[in-house]
Amino acid sequence: MAGDKPKPDFSNVRSGSSSTAPSPAAPPPERYTVVAGDSLSKIAKKYYGDASQWKRIFEANRDQIKNPDLIQPGWKLVIPPKA
Amino acid sequence: MQALRLFTLVTAACLGLLGCGRSEQAKAPAPAPPPAAAPVAPAPFRVGAVELGNAIGADKRVSVPSSAFAPTDTIYASVATEGASPSVTLTARWTYEDGQLVDESSETIAPTGPAVTEFHVAKPDGWPTGRYKVEITASGQPAGEREFEVR
Repeated sequence: MAGDKPKPDFSNVRSGSSSTAPSPAAPPPERYTVVAGDSLSKIAKKYYGDASQWKRIFEANRDQIKNPDLIQPGWKLVIPPKA
Repeated sequence: MQALRLFTLVTAACLGLLGCGRSEQAKAPAPAPPPAAAPVAPAPFRVGAVELGNAIGADKRVSVPSSAFAPTDTIYASVATEGASPSVTLTARWTYEDGQLVDESSETIAPTGPAVTEFHVAKPDGWPTGRYKVEITASGQPAGEREFEVR
């Protein structure tokens, strides 16, 4: 209707929150033991449903993986939680 | 005869003393060991007061509770909670006049006792004047609301 007041725009509202209470403990990261025939892409596909996410696993295991194309059966890899 | 009377008196006195002694023992039993302290269950989580203001302190409580604000104010809602919970999500839903959504934000906490959670909203170009409401929910359950005015 012509007499209706236009609705205000709140799209630029900035908000935030904080608490004196602690945050819930993060769940421990999942671990995966590499088996023969595995690759980081294969593991990423298994956990994230997306093979291209292999870099996340690589980055989380840089202390163990020197070459992302070479992972050894028996290695225990940290699997970061889904983004 | 006199000896017999004396014997009777002495015997009666002795019996009386013995009786008194027994009576005393009955009156003062050995103290019972204190009952073992039962483990104190943590209080169930609940939301307490919701207060509004344009500033908060280090304790997250609003400094001066208010229900009227200036268009340039940052508006804070402090939510006091009690009890413990491994995880509870507090949500503040801010609306304008007839229910137009202004903002909605959440904070997930794991309180172990009394706590205060603050939510705040600001609008760089100023709040439109009018009536507003903030509704607080705890893991989806209504937990309190406050109305305020910007003028």
